[in-house]
Amino acid sequence: MEHIQLGDGINLYLYETSQFKTITTKVFVQEELSKDKVSATALIPMILRRGTKSTPTTLELARKMEELYGSAIDADIIKIGEKQIIEFYFDMVSPKLLPNGEQILAEGLRTFGELILDPVREGQGFNQQYFAQEQFNLKNLVEGLINEKRSYAYQRALQHMCKDEPHGIYKYGDTQQIKELVNEEVFEHYQQLIRSNPVDIFIVGEGISQIPELIKEWSWHRSNLRQLRPAIVKDAGQVQEVFETRDVQQGILVMGYRANQNYLDPNYYSLVVANAILGVFPHSKLFINVRERASLAYYVGSSLDGSKGIITISAGIDPSQYDKAVEIINAQIGEMQAGKITQDELERTKIGLISGMQTMADNPASIIDRNVIGVVHGQLRSLEEVIGEIEKVTLEQVQAAANQIKLDTVYFLSGMRGDL
Amino acid sequence: MEVVKTTTGEQLYQKVLDNGLRVYVMTKPGFQKKYAVFSTKYGSFDSKFKLNNEIIEVPDGIAHFLEHKLFEDQEMHVFERFAQYGASVNAYTSYTMTSYLFSTIEYFDEAFQELLSFVQKPYFTSENVEKEKGIIEQELKMYEDHPDRKIYNNLLEALYHVHPIRIDVGGTVESIQKITVDLLNMCYETFYQPSNMAVFVIGDLEPTRVFDLAAEHTVNWFFKFQEIQRIYPEEPVEILKPSVEERLSVSRPRYYLGFKNQPYNAGRALMKQQLAMSMIWRTIAARSSPVYQELYSSGLIDESFGASFSATPEYALSIVGGETDQPEKLDQRLRQAIQDLQKNKLQVADVERMKRRALGNYLASFNSLEYIANSFLSHEFNGTSILDFPQILEEITVDEINEMLNDGLDLKNSAVSILLPE
Repeated sequence: MEHIQLGDGINLYLYETSQFKTITTKVFVQEELSKDKVSATALIPMILRRGTKSTPTTLELARKMEELYGSAIDADIIKIGEKQIIEFYFDMVSPKLLPNGEQILAEGLRTFGELILDPVREGQGFNQQYFAQEQFNLKNLVEGLINEKRSYAYQRALQHMCKDEPHGIYKYGDTQQIKELVNEEVFEHYQQLIRSNPVDIFIVGEGISQIPELIKEWSWHRSNLRQLRPAIVKDAGQVQEVFETRDVQQGILVMGYRANQNYLDPNYYSLVVANAILGVFPHSKLFINVRERASLAYYVGSSLDGSKGIITISAGIDPSQYDKAVEIINAQIGEMQAGKITQDELERTKIGLISGMQTMADNPASIIDRNVIGVVHGQLRSLEEVIGEIEKVTLEQVQAAANQIKLDTVYFLSGMRGDL
Repeated sequence: MEVVKTTTGEQLYQKVLDNGLRVYVMTKPGFQKKYAVFSTKYGSFDSKFKLNNEIIEVPDGIAHFLEHKLFEDQEMHVFERFAQYGASVNAYTSYTMTSYLFSTIEYFDEAFQELLSFVQKPYFTSENVEKEKGIIEQELKMYEDHPDRKIYNNLLEALYHVHPIRIDVGGTVESIQKITVDLLNMCYETFYQPSNMAVFVIGDLEPTRVFDLAAEHTVNWFFKFQEIQRIYPEEPVEILKPSVEERLSVSRPRYYLGFKNQPYNAGRALMKQQLAMSMIWRTIAARSSPVYQELYSSGLIDESFGASFSATPEYALSIVGGETDQPEKLDQRLRQAIQDLQKNKLQVADVERMKRRALGNYLASFNSLEYIANSFLSHEFNGTSILDFPQILEEITVDEINEMLNDGLDLKNSAVSILLPE
C-alpha cells in the first residue's frame, strides 16, 4: 500500500491491483468517542448521504449513481476502540470495463468529494428538512438496537463493563441527546471535524495513479489540527453480574474479559492466537465444548477488541442452562491458563488465522478495513508482517497471554431469570 | 470439457462425470483464495416424495438436519479435517438446495478431497442425532427472536394454503424431535446421488487438475440410482388470508406486503421474470424512486424499506415493506402507488437507467468468489445460467416489463403481515 501525505493531517493510501472489477474508495474522519459529542457526530453522515450541493435531492443523487453503472455512495459510523469514525464510501465499476470509463470515474469522484465537503446548506446549518428527518431516523435506529437481540446483548454488556470508559458508549448515540440536537450546532461540529480531525483516504483498484490529481480539488480548509487520545487499557476489577429480562425465547450470555494488552503491545499476537484457540473457529475450545459436546448452543464464540484488549464471549442458550454454560466457558479459559493446549490446536489456529488474513486481501473493502485499524493506532502493519508475527507465537506465549485474561462482567439477557 | 468465456473476461470450464455429477471450474487469476461448493438439489420443500411407488412424508426440517449431521465423522470431526489445511468449511440449506462449501489459501487439493469425501460419507448414529436436536432447537429459538424472520414467516403462512414454503427451512422444535437415523438415511439415499448434484470450484486453479480430482474422489461413491419424484401439494392461486398480526419485543411496528406470484417455470423465462420484477419493484421501493422519496420525506418509511422478488420453478414471491410508525397509512399509500404504476407504466428512461445499474452490479459481483459460485449453482438448479444475464438484460424491453405489471402486482393475491411492539 503506497502512502502519500497530502499535508495538513490528510493521508492518502493507494493499493494498485488489477485483481478486481471495481475501484473502491473509503474516507475516514476520526473523532474521539465522547458522551457529549457522540450523537452529533453520529447524525452527520446520515445527513450528508441525503444530497450534495450539485445533486441536492436524494432522488437526484440516487439516480446519478444508477447512471454511473450502479456506483455505490454512502456514509456511516464505525467504531474502533475508543474512536468514533465517520466512514464515507464510494465504489464503482473499473473504468476499463465501461464505455467512457475515465469520465465516469471523474464524475463519480467529484460527487463523492461533494458528499463529504459540500452538503446542502440552509442558513448557518444543514438543510433543515434533512436535519429533522435524519434526527428522527437516528433516534429510531438507536431505539431499534433491541430488535437484534445479539447486538443488543453485546452492547448492553459493554455498557456495563465500560461504564467509566468511552468504549461503553454506543456508536450511534443516545436517544435523549439526539432529540436535543440543534441543526446549527451539529453543522458547526461537522465543520470542525472536517477542518481539524485526522482524515485518511484509501483507494483500491486498477489504474488509480491519476486519482490523487482528481481529489486534490477537494477543499477541506484545514486548520487547528487535532491529535486524538489513544484508547485506555484497563485492568479487570471485581466481577459484576448483570441480569436483564425481556420477552425473548432464547437467553443470550455475554462474558467480558480484560486481557491487559492491546495492538501496540509487543506480545499482542500471542493474545490474538490465544483468543482464536479459545473461540474463533469451529475447532476452537468453545465451539467443541459448549456446542458439540454439551449441545448447549447453536452459536458460541469469542472476539477480541484489539484497541481495548477486551475479549467478549457470547452464546445463545436455553435460560435454564445458564450456570452450566458459564461453568464450561470458564473451564475453557482455565485450561488455557494451565497450558492445556495441544500443538495441533496451536498449529490449526495459526494456519486458520493466517488463511483468514490472506483471504481478506481478496476483497477490496476488507483490504481497507484491515489497514484502517493500523492507521487508527498509528502503526500500519503489512500483511506479511502480521503473518510473520502470528507464525512466531509459541505455546508458552499463548499460555502467558491467557494468564493475563481476567473475567470482568457477566451479562445475561433472558425471558425468565430477571429475579437473580 | 467445455469452455465458455464470460463477458467479464473469466473462463468457465464444465464437464459431466461418468456418474452424472456436473462439475464447473471458473479461473480467477490473481486471487489467493480458492472456493468450492458441492450442492444437492434438495431442500426444505422436499418433505414429500415417491420412493418405490410408495408415498413418503418426512418430518419438516429434515434436509437442514441432515446438513448438520453430515459434519459427523467416525474418526475426526469434519471441522478439524479442514482446519489442518487452514481451510474453513461451512454449509447452508435453502428451500430447494443444500450446499457444502469451503475456502482455502493453501492445500486446495487436500481440502477439495475432504469436501467430496465427507458429503459422500454419512455417519448417523442415534446418539449423535439426539445430540443435534439440542443445537438445532437453539438455532430455531434464535430465529423466533428475529423480527425479520418472524414477520416473513407469518406472511408466508397468510399467502399460502399448503405449500411447503409456509414452513421454516429448519422446521419446528416439534418436528425435529421426530427425526431418526432411518429417516436421515432414506433422505440421504434419495437426494444425495450424483445426478442430483453439482460442484462449482473457483480460484487461481488448473481446471483439468480439478476435474481429475473430482473424478478420482467420486469413483467409489456408493449410491443407488433412484428416480426422484417430488410431490408438491396443489396450491391454489388465491391467498389464504389477507392479513396477519403479531406482537414481539421490537422498538416499533414493521409492515410487509407480500404477493403470491406465479413462477414462469424454468430457464430464460424465469430469469427474465426475475429481472423484470426487480425493476418493477425498484420503481416503487428503491432510493431512486419518487414514490420512495415521497414516503421517506413524510416519515412513513426509513432505510429499512425495500422490496424483493424471489422465484424458483416452485414458487414466486414479492415482498415490500420495512419499519414504520403507521402501518395502515403506509399500506394505503403503497396500494395507491401500485395502482398508479399499473396505470402509468415504467418509462424508457427509467428502464435504461436501471439497466446501466444492473450491468454495473453484475460486473462488480465478479469480485466475489462466493457470490459467483453460490449463485451459479442456484441458477443452474433452476435451469438458468448467470452468464446469460448480460444478454437478457440487453434484450429485455420496457414493453415486456410492463406486461408483468398486472399479474405481478395483483393486489388480489397479496397479504399484509404486521409486527407490533408489545
